[in-house]
Amino acid sequence: MAYISQYEYYENGGANPENENWGSYQYVTLKDIVNNFMLMYAGNHSLINNEERYKVLFHAKRGVQELNYDAFKEIKALELNVSDLLRFVLPPDYVNWVRISLYKDGVLRPLTENIQATSSDAYLQDNSYRILFDIDGNVLKPEFSFLDTDRIAGTKKSIYLGDGAYNGKDGYNIDGAWYFDYSIGARYGLNTETANSNPTFRIDKKSGVINFSSSMAGELCVLEYVSDGMENGDESSISVNKMFEEFIYAYIRYSILNSKLGVQEYVVNRAKKDKSSLLRNAKIRISNIHPGRLLMNMRGQNKIIK
Amino acid sequence: MINTVRNTVLSVLNKNNYGYLSPSDFNLFSKQAQMDIFESYFYQYNYQINKENKRSSGTGYADITKGLEEVIDEFSKTDYLRYSNANKFFLPSATTTGEDYYLINKILAYQTFRVNGTITSVSANQLVDLTATFTATVAIGDVVVNTTTYSSAEVTAIVSDTVLSLDGDIFTSLPGDYSIFSSVQNEAERVGHSKITMLNSSPFTAPSEIFPVYTEESGAASIFPKKMKNDGQVLAQYIRYPKEPKWTYIVLANGEPAFDASQSDYQDFELPLDDEVTLVTKILQYAGISIREASVSQFANGEEQKENQTQA
Repeated sequence: MAYISQYEYYENGGANPENENWGSYQYVTLKDIVNNFMLMYAGNHSLINNEERYKVLFHAKRGVQELNYDAFKEIKALELNVSDLLRFVLPPDYVNWVRISLYKDGVLRPLTENIQATSSDAYLQDNSYRILFDIDGNVLKPEFSFLDTDRIAGTKKSIYLGDGAYNGKDGYNIDGAWYFDYSIGARYGLNTETANSNPTFRIDKKSGVINFSSSMAGELCVLEYVSDGMENGDESSISVNKMFEEFIYAYIRYSILNSKLGVQEYVVNRAKKDKSSLLRNAKIRISNIHPGRLLMNMRGQNKIIK
Repeated sequence: MINTVRNTVLSVLNKNNYGYLSPSDFNLFSKQAQMDIFESYFYQYNYQINKENKRSSGTGYADITKGLEEVIDEFSKTDYLRYSNANKFFLPSATTTGEDYYLINKILAYQTFRVNGTITSVSANQLVDLTATFTATVAIGDVVVNTTTYSSAEVTAIVSDTVLSLDGDIFTSLPGDYSIFSSVQNEAERVGHSKITMLNSSPFTAPSEIFPVYTEESGAASIFPKKMKNDGQVLAQYIRYPKEPKWTYIVLANGEPAFDASQSDYQDFELPLDDEVTLVTKILQYAGISIREASVSQFANGEEQKENQTQA
């Protein structure tokens, strides 16, 4: 991409949106990556020759995806209200989650994942427990399983961890209020998976939703997640931080050489080493380790741990 | 060059009374010889590239590839492809762009279509369309293509909703259709029919306005993504065939033809001067076959082999 004037940078040349170019200098676009690669690393006198551009484009996109999964520190955040059905639909570019928080009373409270099943499918059965089918032979399903119904209605027991005499007792959280059965006997031990006064969640990846425990209804949830950088298929928006530019070229080079017939093994290995070391260098660069930052962290060394 | 070539050919043929070559035969053999040499440039070019890859080629005056590229580039042409239907554009031909193509080197497509229409009046260096709303749709620097004459110019100012200033006078008569595009051009990649279906179905490889592709079929190029279907949106840079050489003449009183380069259908060879020897030998070969004189052919073959050995 051509260099732009400062007026274009700050005010988008008077056009909307004004912030279109802010921070754009940090990135190199997919179009530039593919063009540069075709110019500099492919051709009559290069290791890579007679290779279709769509292959270069494919490997460039795969490289961008790989970087987005773990090397880039570009975490997206989305805030949504959780519905009465206690679910949060995953954003369209969601690949993996980083942190899920409840935003309440001006405080962001990180939530813990409940690895116990909180949601399930269900099949309709008759009174002989035989599964029911429709005329096409497909199994009949209710809208919600009993597990889901209880969770949504708050009639699924969980441990109360608030103040007072009922602390540690099993109870029902319905619309934010706690209800308890008669207390009989004592309760020993604690399920540490859910031992948190905040709601818990479990991600149903196939269904594309996050299911929450009952006290989350109507609350604000902030999902921090990573995407794959494909920008919903808008190729003009796909970009890579310049720290990783050389790595992307190396990644494409290696991917092509590795799958090409008749390339000597030492050439493939050289490309592989090149790719790995450039990724390592770029990760170090982007981690921004410098004395000022270390100093701030080290200042906490004398803090008393309670 | 054509007259000296003919004179040389005739003098070699006449030296031993081998026969006479009529102007029409000479023109036929010239066309054939030029085409042979023209095609051999591409093979020579490939040969030189391979030599370069083996590090047995030099730079500067020893850069043979550069010379070959220069000759081939003489036949290079860039034209707007005429729109056919759907996402199809006619490939260059005598009936569309005026010249047949030997090979398509690249196809370019404007990334963003702005607007199209028809001019309502003619004004020098301007586009005037009283039905348009240019202020909302066009930006300075955009490209206007006259899709009647297939010439183009750049927008230098948006005078009003209905008038654009251009850096070229491309609308000189009515009627005049136009299309306007953003100036960003992207190269479309040629893909085979065996790949295009799979390419289109994968989100990673599906053609886009930034990375378009095309397939060829029956004299037309199909551009993908299919929405790139506006007249004037696609250009091709191609290598055209050399023009048919024509030795033109006037008939003198004694019936002898005399060279006349002023005639409207006169056409010289389009190859560089250093190909004159090759042209003569090739025409001699054809002439030898034509007059069934084996020794003329053998002489020409011998000359050609000597030259090939020198070049290698």
